[in-house]
Amino acid sequence: MSNRTLHIAWGTLVVLSLGATLLSFADIWAIWPIPAGMAVLALAWLKARIILSQYLGLAAAPFWRRGFEFALAALCLLLLGLYLLPIIR
Amino acid sequence: MSGESVLDEVPGDLMMWILIISEFLVFGAGLVAFLSVRLTDPVGFAQAQDMLDRTGAGINTIVLVTSGFLAALAHRLRLSGARRKARLALVAAAMLGAVFLWIKGREYAEKAAEGIGWDTHPFFNFYYMLTGLHAAHVVAGVLLLLLVAWRDAPENIEDASAFWHMVDLVWVLLFPVVYLLR
Repeated sequence: MSNRTLHIAWGTLVVLSLGATLLSFADIWAIWPIPAGMAVLALAWLKARIILSQYLGLAAAPFWRRGFEFALAALCLLLLGLYLLPIIR
Repeated sequence: MSGESVLDEVPGDLMMWILIISEFLVFGAGLVAFLSVRLTDPVGFAQAQDMLDRTGAGINTIVLVTSGFLAALAHRLRLSGARRKARLALVAAAMLGAVFLWIKGREYAEKAAEGIGWDTHPFFNFYYMLTGLHAAHVVAGVLLLLLVAWRDAPENIEDASAFWHMVDLVWVLLFPVVYLLR
């Protein structure tokens, strides 16, 4: 991985983190809690993928990257399901 | 027949990856338990969560991902022979870890001043357990980064950086679940 890729990874992480923090101030939680929750967890999922592939170097290890991404997606979907349960029932 | 195994593909030390997987499972289980208990009292959890400092936690996310960037950069600098720059990057990464702990400590102190403790509400059981365990890992990570800034063999820096990225990874999952979802 080049230094440029590392800088891009960091810049993307900062932007995604700012996005999640800005979402915490928005009024959308009272109006649209489902899209807000999905957006926040999607941002977390994207950040975690970048950390795994670029910071931890799994971009160079496709077998392990796929395994970690599967586990990460499964965890995020489980967290989303648990978050949505009290809203939809 | 090739003697190559998928284990050879793993970047860095295999033991560090076993630790990363273990931590991922522990914190993942903690977050699942948190949201499962929330099902019993979503309104109470939302009211308790509103007492947290979301801005401070958001700043801390940026602090940690920047610190992770410096740790990753340090490893590259060391491999390219820029030893002094690598050490500086590691010390800067550790200092950002200290900033994270200061912001977190301030939040704990504010909660204590408001009379909010471990047993105020089930939300705070999980809040202190998850963020406290994570903060303990940050302390360990800061010490590791400073240690490898001193004993700066490339493989030492790679292992300490991997530990630090794991701390980063846990926080980016913990932050939205504990502070944002409501």
